[in-house]
Order: sequence, then C-alpha cells, then structure tokens
Amino acid sequence: MNMTLADRLTAIAFAALGLAMAVGGYTMDRLEIRRIHPASIPGLVPMILGVLLVICAIVLWREARAANAGDAAIFTDGSWTRLGLTAAATLIYAIVLVGWLPFIWSTGIFVFSFATIFSWPEGAGRGAQAKAIGGALLLAVATGWGTSLLFRDVFLVRLP
Amino acid sequence: MSALTDLFAALVGLMTPGMIFHAAWATLLGIVIGSLPGLTATMGVALMTTLTYSLDSTAAILVLICMYVGAIYGGSRSAILLNIPGTPASAATSLDGYPLAKEGRAGYAMGLATAGSMLGTLVGIVLLVMIAPPLAEAALNFGSFEFFWLAVFGVVISGQLTADSTPVKGYIAGILGLMVAMVGSEGIHAHVRFNFGLSDMNAGIGLIPAMVGAFGFAEVLNAMWGRAGILATAKDKSDRIIPELIDLWRYKVTIVRSGVIGTLVGIIPGVGEDIGAWASYVAARRTSKEADRFGKGSHEGLTAAETGNSAVVPGSLIPAITLAVPGSASSAVLIAALFIHGIRPGPLIMIEQPQFISSVAAMLILATLFMGFYGLTLTRAFVQVLRVPYAYLMPVVFVLCVIGTYALSQRIFDIWVMIAFGLVGFVLRQMKYPMAPLVLGIILGDLLDKSLRRGLTLSDGDLTPFFTRPVSLAFVVLIAVSILANFSFVRRKVSGLLRRKKEERDA
Repeated sequence: MNMTLADRLTAIAFAALGLAMAVGGYTMDRLEIRRIHPASIPGLVPMILGVLLVICAIVLWREARAANAGDAAIFTDGSWTRLGLTAAATLIYAIVLVGWLPFIWSTGIFVFSFATIFSWPEGAGRGAQAKAIGGALLLAVATGWGTSLLFRDVFLVRLP
Repeated sequence: MSALTDLFAALVGLMTPGMIFHAAWATLLGIVIGSLPGLTATMGVALMTTLTYSLDSTAAILVLICMYVGAIYGGSRSAILLNIPGTPASAATSLDGYPLAKEGRAGYAMGLATAGSMLGTLVGIVLLVMIAPPLAEAALNFGSFEFFWLAVFGVVISGQLTADSTPVKGYIAGILGLMVAMVGSEGIHAHVRFNFGLSDMNAGIGLIPAMVGAFGFAEVLNAMWGRAGILATAKDKSDRIIPELIDLWRYKVTIVRSGVIGTLVGIIPGVGEDIGAWASYVAARRTSKEADRFGKGSHEGLTAAETGNSAVVPGSLIPAITLAVPGSASSAVLIAALFIHGIRPGPLIMIEQPQFISSVAAMLILATLFMGFYGLTLTRAFVQVLRVPYAYLMPVVFVLCVIGTYALSQRIFDIWVMIAFGLVGFVLRQMKYPMAPLVLGIILGDLLDKSLRRGLTLSDGDLTPFFTRPVSLAFVVLIAVSILANFSFVRRKVSGLLRRKKEERDA
C-alpha cells in the first residue's frame, strides 16, 4: 500500500469519527434539569473537536490527492511474519492468559514461547536448539518469578 | 542569590545514601534503556512510574528524572555504534557519531557525547532555575481564557513541529488525543461522556495505560517489525575517551548556543528532544567554520546534537512544573507521576511548594553527575548491552507493560487500554503520525475543556475576552501565525510582500 491510498482511507475513517463525535456532542444531555449555563454544556468541546477532525480529514484527503505518483510505500520495511507472531503472542498473553492462569504461569509461558520462537536457530544442530530452549526457559523462569515477587511482595499488588 | 542558596540546600538534602543509591541505579538503567534501540525515554519513564508507586515522593521523582536524563543520553550509544538512534533524540547524533565510530574512534565519540550531554543539561538547569519561578508567578495571573489558549497552543505547536511529512497529521494526532480526554466524567458537572455503557470508562482513559501502550507496546511491535542494525566496528582504536579540554573549549559557543536552543525547544509544549537536537545541529552547521565536516564525523556536530537534546530535558520541565503543560512526551508522564505522588504542578507550585523547582534542579544535577561518571567509565561495557537480542528483551518489556499498567488501579481494563493504544500507536506511527501531540492532547484535554466552558460561563457566553485579554491575544496571534504558515499561498504572499518592500527600499 502506498501513502496516498493509506492517507485517503484514514481520511475517510477520521471524517467518520469526527462526524460521530460532533453528533455525539450535539445530542449529549444538556443538563437543563440542573439549570447549568448553556455555554457550559458537556457536549460543547466534543462538538468542536468533531468538526475540527472533519476539517483536518478533508485537508488530509486533498493533500493525499495532490501527492505525486512516486510517493513512499508503507508497511514494507519490516517483516510481516515477525509482526504477526509478535502480535499473536502478546495479544494471547495480555487478553487470554493474564487473568485466566496465575500471573507467574502466564508470564512464564509467554516469555518462553516468545523467546523460543524468535531465537530459534533454524537448520542448526541439536546443540544450538537445546541452547535456545535452555536460554528461553531460564529467561521465562526469571521473568515470571522476578516480576511476581517484585509486584506482589514489594509493591503489594494483588496479581491478576 | 536566593535561587542559588535554595539549589545548594536542595542538593545537600539529596546527599543521603538512599537518594544517591536511587540516583545511581536509575541513571544506569536509564542509559541502558536509552541505548537499546526500540526502548525510548518515554517508555522508560512510563514503565518506571509503575515501578515507583511505593517509593516516597522525593525518591520516586528522583528516580524518574534520573531515568529521563539517562535515557536521553543513552540513545547516543547505539546512534554512534549502530547508526540506529537508541531514542529519536539521538537521530542527529548518529550523523557524526557513526562516521567517527567507523574510523575506529567510537570511544572518543562517546566521550564527546557524554561531555556535550553533561554541559547541555547544566545549561538547561541554569535556565530552569532562572526561568521557572518568574514563569510560575506570571502564570498566576492566567485565567480560564489564557489557559484555554495555552492548551490550544500546546497541541497546535506540538502537532506542527513534530509532524514528519505534513502538519495536518500532527494536528490530527493532537485532536485524537483531545478526543480521548473527552471520555469519562467531565470536570465541571461530573457528567459522564462517551463511556459506551462501560462503567470502567466512567473515570476516563488513564494517561499511564495510554502512554505505556503508545510508547511501550507500540515500540515492541515496531522493534520486532523492523530490522536490527550492525555494530559499526568490532575494534575501538580510540586513544582516549575523556574529551580533550581544548576540543570542548573550541566549541564553547556551540555548547552554550545548543544548550540555550535545546532549553527553549524544551519549553515549547510537546516538542521534545529530537527537535532540540536537530535545531542545535542545524544552527551549529550554519555557523561553523568546518561546516563541510558535518555528517562526516565532525566533533562540533556531535557536540551540538548531544548538547541540544540533553538541554531539552530541563527545558521541558519548565512548563511541566509551572503550567502543568509538558514540554515533551516524557515530561507528560512525569506530570502524571507528580500527581500520583501528591504534587500538583501548575502556577500554584511556587506557593504550595516553593522549594520544588530547586529540588528538581538538584535532582537533575545528581543525574548529570552519574551520567558523566557512567559515560566515561563504562563506555566499552555499553557495547555489550547492545548485543542483547530482541528475542530476550522484548518479552520482558511487554510483561512490564502489562503488569505495570495493571498495578496502578489493579484493573484488567487498563491492560486492554494499553493494548488498544499500542496497536493504534503502531499503525499511526507507520503512517507518519507523531505521538507527542496525541499524548499532549490527552493531558491537556481536561484543561482545554474546563477552561473554555468556565471562561464562557464567566463571560456569559461572550467570546470577546478570549480575544481581547493581552495574553490571550498573544496566544491567538501565535496560533494563527503557526497555522497560516502551513499554507503555501500565505507563504508566497508574505515573501512577495517582503521582496517588494526590499525593492522599494533599494530603489
């Protein structure tokens, strides 16, 4: 995807968001029952922000249209596989594992999986693979145990 | 004189074993975090805020300031050795630091960067002590009208100066931040806005989860997405690490100028260290006798960049302490941390805690001393730090993002906020939207909202005082000029006008 297309798509999204915010501000309770000053209604600033975002979205759309043909491509200077694996591992840990398993276990599993996946020596001998697993295991135990100890016993946090 | 006495007293007060210990480890950790590409100063300060809840307020603020100073300085390590700035603040450093490292003079380059950073911070500290008290006193006269424009000015100028490609992306980021601040109970009538039926959102979106997401999780994704750099040289042939005094003396004007530029950039809301470094670097190149050496390993260029970015740290604390308007993204987190520890930044600081500015200056001095000590003694050890693979580093960072966010209010909801901001932050960053205006918007949203509605109530709905009071008018003019300067037809008209005037004068 190039920047022009990305800017156009986001301009549409921002215009919709701005419109929604403006409408949300306009239809918001004006607290007449509490006899507040009409200039201090809670929806005033959201309305203004919504309108401003719509204006900025229009400017963004126009600037994207004016951009020359040789504009830069985006999302091309990295690895989708690494990004996908990172996103999957972090989201599974933060949304599923934390709160479902005791913190020390969820953290241990996450760190071990993450470190193993990204340090795995593809095509290397058994020794190198065992070393990668050993390193990941050590890090997982240290992180799970260390953070639990620090937050539970030092900061007195009730861990998830 | 009284300022100096206060500063000395504050420095003596910090000289307890406990405080020195805190300053020592926090500065070292800051340098390590800053030196690792992918971990920024803001992320370090945000994560450290979650780790200092249980400390007393002085120790906690000392730790955060040392982390901030250390991380901004630490970014120079990877900029010099890898040509990858450890933090965005060190982007200008890599221009001359990396060529020096390739020549086998990495040690000397790091020594020069250390001296530049120390001197830059010291210039900034002097200006902090001089500017902050009168600014706080002047701000005591600010009313709702002025605070409204101050908030608008902050978001506009931050959006304008931090946007990479087009200022409109900076403005959009700022508006998005302000919109985030509209969620939850508003500050005048306690009416709950945009909670979408979720009681967890009644109190609004927390700044710390948002910051940890935008600067922590987003950085993890960014680091894993990108590619790592290669060490500049395996062997360092520097004959010395401590910079020659003659080098520093030769660049005395550059150092003072860069320090002043850095501090002034720091004072501008939400602009940050990277702009401070670039502005100082460009000014140094423009006036240098050896301008052709810039970009090829110039000592002066390296000194200017490092002096400039380090001076932003004390500079950014000036508006943060006196107006509660952050000068950089990291100082936005510091403001949140100050509130957590019962300190209310803003114009009343000089009345409620008159010694606070001196204490902050003393903390900065302590951090600078440790920065110099580590910078000159552990130069070669830091090369080893850069060899830690992301596979081991990033999961630990993410665990700290999760548990640190959770620890503040012990709500799983905050983890979801962190995740959401991380994903959105990553996408926006890829599309060249700056993060600083977003953060500034979140922190200034409440001030802007309350000031506008309070001002309108005071004036019975009349907008005139927003434009006629002297300070308000000055802000309006500044905002209008900065926005209008973006339009090419305005620029063309102004330059045409100036040219015509010159021709008339010549004729």
